[in-house]
Amino acid sequence: MFTGVDLGLKENTAERIVRIVLFIGLGALPAFWQGQYALGLLTLMAVYGVLLIGLDATVGYLGQVNLAQAALFGLGAYGTALAVQAGASFPLALIAGVIAALLPGAALALPALRLEGPQFALSTLSFATLSVIVLNESESITHGALGLSIVRPSLFTVALDARGFYWLCLVVLFMSWWVSQLLLKSRFGLSIEALRDSPTATDALGIGTLRHKVLAFAWGSALAGLAGALHALNFGYLQPAAFGYDLMVMLLLGVVFGGRRSQWGAFAGAAVVAMLPNLLSNRTLFSTLVSFGCILTLFPIFRSLISRKVPAFKEAAPAVAMAAALILSLFANNVEEWRKGIFALFLFAAVVGLPDGLAGAVVSALHKLIRFTPDPLPPVSGGFRPAGISVSEPLHVLKLSKSFGGVRAVDNVTLDIGQDEILGLIGPNGSGKTTFINLVSGLYAPDSGTIEIAGTRPLPGSLMSASSAGAARTFQNLQPFSGLTALESILVCQHDGGKSEAMGWLRVVALEEKARQRCSEMSYGDLRFLEIARALATRPRLLMLDEPAAGMSKPDIARLVDLVVSIKRAGVPILLIEHHQDVVAELCDRVAVMDGGRLIALGTSDQVRHNPKVIEAYLGADDDHTSVQSKSEPQLC
Amino acid sequence: MKASRSILAVLLATSFSTVAMAADVVKIAITGPFSGGSAPMGVSMRDGAKLAISQINQNGGINVAGRKMKIELIERDDEGKNDRGALVAQEISSMGDISAVIGTVNTGVAVMGDKYYVEKGIVKIITPAAGSASMTQWSKAGVKDLPIFRFASHDGIQAQMVVEKALKLGFTNVAILHDATNYGVSGRDDLIEQISRQGGKLKVVSVEKFAIGDKDMTGQLIKAKSAGAQAILIWGIGPELAAVASGKEKLGFKVPMIGGWTLSMSNFIDTAGASGNGALMPQTFIEDESIARAKPFIQAYHKAYAVSRIPSPVSAAQGYDAALLLAEAIHEAGSTTPSKIKLSLENLKVTVKGAIADWKKPWSKWNPSNVETHEAFRRATTVMGKVQNGRVVLANPSEKFVLEGTAVK
Amino acid sequence: MDAKYIALAQMAVGGGLMGMAYALVAYGFQLTYAAGKAVNFGQGELVMLGAFTGISLAGSGLPYGVSVLGAMVAGAALGWFVERVAVRLALKQHNEGWILLTIIVGLFALSFVENIWGRDDRPFPVPWPAAPLDFYGISVTWPELAIAMGALGIMIFVELAKRYTMAGIAVQAVSADPEAAELCGVRSSSAISLSWAVSGAAAAFAGTVIGPVTTVGPTMAAALTLKAFSVAVVAGLDSGFGLVIAGIALGAAENLSGYVLGSGWREAPGLLLLILALALRPQGIFGKKIIRKV
Repeated sequence: MFTGVDLGLKENTAERIVRIVLFIGLGALPAFWQGQYALGLLTLMAVYGVLLIGLDATVGYLGQVNLAQAALFGLGAYGTALAVQAGASFPLALIAGVIAALLPGAALALPALRLEGPQFALSTLSFATLSVIVLNESESITHGALGLSIVRPSLFTVALDARGFYWLCLVVLFMSWWVSQLLLKSRFGLSIEALRDSPTATDALGIGTLRHKVLAFAWGSALAGLAGALHALNFGYLQPAAFGYDLMVMLLLGVVFGGRRSQWGAFAGAAVVAMLPNLLSNRTLFSTLVSFGCILTLFPIFRSLISRKVPAFKEAAPAVAMAAALILSLFANNVEEWRKGIFALFLFAAVVGLPDGLAGAVVSALHKLIRFTPDPLPPVSGGFRPAGISVSEPLHVLKLSKSFGGVRAVDNVTLDIGQDEILGLIGPNGSGKTTFINLVSGLYAPDSGTIEIAGTRPLPGSLMSASSAGAARTFQNLQPFSGLTALESILVCQHDGGKSEAMGWLRVVALEEKARQRCSEMSYGDLRFLEIARALATRPRLLMLDEPAAGMSKPDIARLVDLVVSIKRAGVPILLIEHHQDVVAELCDRVAVMDGGRLIALGTSDQVRHNPKVIEAYLGADDDHTSVQSKSEPQLC
Repeated sequence: MKASRSILAVLLATSFSTVAMAADVVKIAITGPFSGGSAPMGVSMRDGAKLAISQINQNGGINVAGRKMKIELIERDDEGKNDRGALVAQEISSMGDISAVIGTVNTGVAVMGDKYYVEKGIVKIITPAAGSASMTQWSKAGVKDLPIFRFASHDGIQAQMVVEKALKLGFTNVAILHDATNYGVSGRDDLIEQISRQGGKLKVVSVEKFAIGDKDMTGQLIKAKSAGAQAILIWGIGPELAAVASGKEKLGFKVPMIGGWTLSMSNFIDTAGASGNGALMPQTFIEDESIARAKPFIQAYHKAYAVSRIPSPVSAAQGYDAALLLAEAIHEAGSTTPSKIKLSLENLKVTVKGAIADWKKPWSKWNPSNVETHEAFRRATTVMGKVQNGRVVLANPSEKFVLEGTAVK
Repeated sequence: MDAKYIALAQMAVGGGLMGMAYALVAYGFQLTYAAGKAVNFGQGELVMLGAFTGISLAGSGLPYGVSVLGAMVAGAALGWFVERVAVRLALKQHNEGWILLTIIVGLFALSFVENIWGRDDRPFPVPWPAAPLDFYGISVTWPELAIAMGALGIMIFVELAKRYTMAGIAVQAVSADPEAAELCGVRSSSAISLSWAVSGAAAAFAGTVIGPVTTVGPTMAAALTLKAFSVAVVAGLDSGFGLVIAGIALGAAENLSGYVLGSGWREAPGLLLLILALALRPQGIFGKKIIRKV
């Protein structure tokens, strides 16, 4: 098999080289492609580039459909225009634009970012509509629909001509790109990727979901403001209606078409958004383009036909759409009037055919052609360290209750965990074990009762607060950070310490060989161990393991038992929910048994095993206790 | 990857297209909204202008300094959006071989885009955009040498006529309704200015606006009604005007609507149906084949585009006449150079017989303190039209002579 | 009664009736969301296509009722088509592509209608009397009443069908837990297709009753989609008849604030309340609280 050319380059280095070449090329382009129109298009592309890199922070990295970006862009533009009218200098006007978008953006972020999916989309949409109304109605300030005209001030003493302004926009684009990349590749960016995959896990591990969301949104808003400022200085005339839903849809399409979670994708999207409407006005050029695209979409179909398969929807649909576009562009009476339709077909083919966008498609093609040298793995250090001061009472739970509707899931439970203790929590399915851990870790707020973790009382119902008190947990249904590698998963959870320490935690769970593997590609058992390493990396004072052995193979269970023993030896107390009776018996100092939300027994493994209430809970009235394990095990999934 | 490669191809192709210069054609661009809400005006204007151009080309083209040159058209859809309009203007002004531009429906597009033509000195005839700002922006900026001309009865004239009409009908209390676009808001300002200029005899009892796409105008109308308005002075475009008319019907609020020329748009007349009857508006052209001057144009338009009614007759006729005037100016200039065409537009020697009037020196040398120098229409060339049973007719049949008129100015 | 209060009442009633139109379109969102957790951002275009189909059928001489039914059949087919081409694959891949694909399909529909039926608005002929009804000085037109009756009628009909037919119960099962439903022999993809078809039929029906009030044109539903989406989310995407209350409230609030604050500010208070409502009750005012499970 063809494995690609090895250039002996790291991927990051290669990307940097190509990016610098791109910018040099863009800077030199006006020398070859002359005229005001060319400059106008290129400037627009650069401005949209900044805007879309900002939009990608929310749509791509946060994974939320943000419909406020066009309005924030408008607010930035108006901020700059009003500043210019008030006599502000060029740099000051730019700053005014950023602030004019950043402040309302931050104000929106606080309520909106508690929401997800359609609710988030709607709240940003409402904000956007509201902004346009305010711009339209504040006639005494913005001149409303009549529009606001400004003259571009000179930059210090230089009056920028169209070319100079284009170069300025390029510099701003370069800086925004560079800073975004630094930011989103840093621990901050990793955290954002992590919270997209599992906001519950990021909160439970103390990474902080809301804080990161707000910062990402604020960064996106600031870039929208910056782009708006450039837009105002570019055209010199603003009207509120230009920043409405139509523009927003174009921007969204741009980001998705270009490829999410990538500055390259945002840039490609910007180029398409800026150029495409203008390309469509040239008919011959356009039909050539469509025929070319049509031919490209035929390749995947031929490939499946050659291997004697019926082409899948994903392969056939783009070709059908492009064929329809081709027919329209060749035979429609008036192509101009079908433009929107052809545009739609074009986009349809692109979105279905390239789910990762243009940038994603190019990157995966390049990966097939070129082999990059991977980053060297950092040396391993660290591992277990005493978890700060040892606490006499890691967990103290008093009369805890929680109901869902009419069901008392946890009913008046009082439970303590002592220093260096492993407490097992068992009970039949639905007995309230996981609810109990969810209460302690702060996922649910209790109806009554108190929880004290390592001497502090976290805020009820706050995962973050429980985590900062020292709790860390794993999940019965895995909550991996699918987009991150194993090493990155650990890095985001560490409060301090670098890569080599993260490698140390991976070695603790024997995953250091798989440091570079993405979580989405890891096996179930590996992910279970990785979750434990993640929790350990927060240096907890109380570790809660929710069915860690579920679905594990026999050798893995043996590894798990060794691991838990060594965690205990390092001084971390553990609350363990487990169905494997032998694991519980082997590990736990004490075992608590729940049934119907109540705590029905507490004692050593042997004591509990012979407790008649426990036997009844598991088996009904039967006293055959030996089958405790066999009954509960098939229900593990 | 495929798209980026094709974009590169297109970039290269566009760059080479600026090099190729055709020698025996005059290149004229038509811009306007050919899609979206103001499309009926844009499309009618375009088709009217194309009709004139195809007639000229059938006769061999324009005689430019002894050589017959055909007209080549470049069409660009600005979608009625300002920044699209600005890019279209940049594109056309960068082509390097465009002699002149006809078009623009939306005033905002003219405000944002025309500066690129001015920088390059490219001649543009604005039609049918009527908003005052498209010309006053240049007098405010004190531009000395202006290649922008307007061929539309601008809002200043129209507002004057609307106020005159309201006074003549004996009203004292009126309501102003307008849409929330540049067009509507500047129309409102023009109306208020005209009312005070004509002695402040009209009392404006309520000023209300509506957004593009609004269908329910009850609120605005109830306010006007309860304030005692005897007439509604209105500035908006077809669909919303129709919503106002049917809202009046629903509330039993039987007062006349008097407003800008857009009340003659087919999408108002058709949708409003009976409730649109009696609406009054200034007109430079009426689609009425009994007017001898207009008949050939109306018939040619119907035939060429296989319609029985023009979507926006005013736009179509203005587009047609603007193209004729431009062709004459190119002929008189004896050159396809924009600066020379501009000079001859300012000093047209021959009277051009158009569908609207006989145009005798419609423009004169630009004077920044008087926008009328680059405005073709005067109060005297505009009449009041009235909606009657699905057609626009003369409000005052005795004014027919204006539309038949043999000479203007 | 004082003229001022009559005016306010007129505004509230008119707004509330229009709010029923929001609720009717919002119901289409609810139907598809329940089955596949996706909504059609091109729902407005389905409304518009339904209205145009209705006009054309009525124009060919068919009685109004038959035209409405014909439009609903076309709407069902279109709803099914949107699910098949724009939603199914993206949902399978667990990405948000469906949002864009539904917008894109809507964009194509818009262009299609512009070229087939033209860009101009046109009236939708109805057999109702033209004169408005008068209730103590508040006038209400027959087409407005038809929206309210139609919205309630179709919602009651579909809700009954959901509860008392096998297909309806199957859709509910898929909505509750697609995998468990599969294990019980329900093909979740068919159930989802069915919901999209019903949603499409509801949208087309909405077009035929809203059209007579707003006139029919390619952009008739652009604003409607966003309003309906707001109503659906604020009421809760699983709220059933909560939609009607939210719709009436939004419609009346818009009209009243336009009247009191000036027509430019018409939408502002509604939008502020909307953000507030979402911040306080993310699951919607009438929605069921979501319990996070791990």
